Amino acid sequence: MEIAVIGGSEFVVGFRLAGIRKIYDAEDEEKLKRSVSTVMEDPDVGILVIYAKDMERLPARLRSTLENSIRPTVITIGAEEGGLSMRDRIKRSVGVDLWK
Amino acid sequence: MALRDVKPTRSELINLKRKIKLSERGYNILKMKRDGLILEFFKVLDEARTTRGALEEKYGKAVGMIALSNTIEGTLALKSAALSVKEIPTIQLKSKNIMGVVVPEISSSKVKKGLLERGYGLLGTTSVMDETATSYEDLVEAIIRSAEIETTMKKLLDEIESTKRRVNALEFKVIPELTEARDFIKMRLDEMEREELFRLKKIKARTKG
Repeated sequence: MEIAVIGGSEFVVGFRLAGIRKIYDAEDEEKLKRSVSTVMEDPDVGILVIYAKDMERLPARLRSTLENSIRPTVITIGAEEGGLSMRDRIKRSVGVDLWK
Repeated sequence: MALRDVKPTRSELINLKRKIKLSERGYNILKMKRDGLILEFFKVLDEARTTRGALEEKYGKAVGMIALSNTIEGTLALKSAALSVKEIPTIQLKSKNIMGVVVPEISSSKVKKGLLERGYGLLGTTSVMDETATSYEDLVEAIIRSAEIETTMKKLLDEIESTKRRVNALEFKVIPELTEARDFIKMRLDEMEREELFRLKKIKARTKG
């Protein structure tokens, strides 16, 4: 399985340097949405790395699908509150805010 | 189950008693499962927080390096170097079982590469490029690790939530309703018995008199 990266060109170039091949572009909303659905349907992607700002641009429904997805696992990076969705989940399941 | 649906018979009472026993046993087991899951969750939580922190830190460093590369090498050179990297890091997903929750175990092929394995020419680029590549390889490693841990957390949280729901449903809905029905039947049966006794007495008195 491979790692996939979705983001703007300056975000993804470094990942390309690290050898990742499945790079999808997210210049505008349409392309972003299309890239996300391509990755979600690709059975060979194990981890999806997405830029936090792009994640925020996604429609709420698609975003929650990504947040709940386990295969591929979605990791957002680039924002301060990287674990915000995790924090909400913990609050809901355990009842106490244990994140930080 | 509404009370008016309950038939006050002895067999129903026996059935209900059996059901209550079963639900209580299930309730206890589920409660233990929930506590066990929460314990496991705490173990993962600390790890998740540290890996998240490391991930953000590595990302910050990588972004700084790429900006530097961009300035020194130029966007075009950076892109062409990036496109010539050949080795692709691949990951393998295995699964592990934590208290009935199947969580992934992600292992990866070598992400870190030596200078010569990277594929771009050494002469045409500066050491900044190499450092950028190294920092991004670090980042990818961190991503793989935190992917495993965060998936584990997600799965554990889901399981905790559903177990908690089940425990609460049993504790606050199923068991109280069953006991209520049991008490109702008991009361009705006792009442019927008393009526019967009274009737018998009445008949006895009449036959005597």
